Amino acid sequence: MLDIKVNQVLDCKGLACPMPIVKTKKAMDQLESGQVIEVQATDKGSLADIQGWARNTGHQYLGTVEEGDLLKHYLRKSSPNEVKEEKKHPLTASNDELLKRLQAAENITILDVRESAEYSFNRIPGAVSIPLGELEDRLGELKPEDELYVVCRTGARSDLACQLLASKGFKQVKNVIPGMSEWTGPTEKL
Amino acid sequence: MSTKVAIIASNGGMFDAYKVFNIATASAATDAEVAIFFTFEGLNLIHKEMHRQLPLPAGAEHFAEGFKQANVPAIPELLAMAMEMGVKIIACQMTMDVMNLKKEDFVDGIEVGGAVTFLDFAKDANVSLTF
Repeated sequence: MLDIKVNQVLDCKGLACPMPIVKTKKAMDQLESGQVIEVQATDKGSLADIQGWARNTGHQYLGTVEEGDLLKHYLRKSSPNEVKEEKKHPLTASNDELLKRLQAAENITILDVRESAEYSFNRIPGAVSIPLGELEDRLGELKPEDELYVVCRTGARSDLACQLLASKGFKQVKNVIPGMSEWTGPTEKL
Repeated sequence: MSTKVAIIASNGGMFDAYKVFNIATASAATDAEVAIFFTFEGLNLIHKEMHRQLPLPAGAEHFAEGFKQANVPAIPELLAMAMEMGVKIIACQMTMDVMNLKKEDFVDGIEVGGAVTFLDFAKDANVSLTF
């Protein structure tokens, strides 16, 4: 299993409803947008509660790992304007276009710039993971002549990644819009 | 606009208190705006002394052990948490008059109001509950 990188680990072990939710809410308020929290709980109801909580607050529920009686829930704090960010990179591709090229087994590289926890729970098979914040330092892992399809959840972070790559001499870089939030093709996890 | 949850608490037992405060704190933690109107025996749930020693229903006393084992927070703790998260606590003026209770008899930070105070909040609530 991949190592899931988080910004905070919250201990709710042994606590009954509604405490895991109340503590998660308080911890989330202290995080910055885009950061990921791991909530450790033993309350079995927390699995459904955390998912419902995320749906209602607009934060992103990534997934849950069960280790015996311990549930580890992963959540990412959304920013209010995440889906509305201005897109600037001129070359874009739809999810469908990427799916067709994947099915045709063409020689393309998919770069996933979401956080590693997001990538762990849901990704396009074969996608390379480099979170946006690490991209500049890890450019060496990519080839400037490759045809790159850059994905994130909604197209906002991947747009920033495309702009960065274009400025570093990458010629064939396309921002996939919207990305994983509406991806219907094959996926894999953990 | 955020979800609004309007609750009427009209019973004064420990089970009633958990129903009221669990829903209220969970709602508040989910960014809902919550108001609870305490009336008749429900006033026990916010009474300075009474809320610390709420009775279990007759024949259900043995659940006291279950509450401990499940590590459920105590009622005073839940009440404090609810208020800290902005849950609006309204004590019913009419019932207070009938029972000869004053605002000082209740925990700090409550409001006192009549039925319309609650209705004004509840008229556009998404969720209305009575316990």
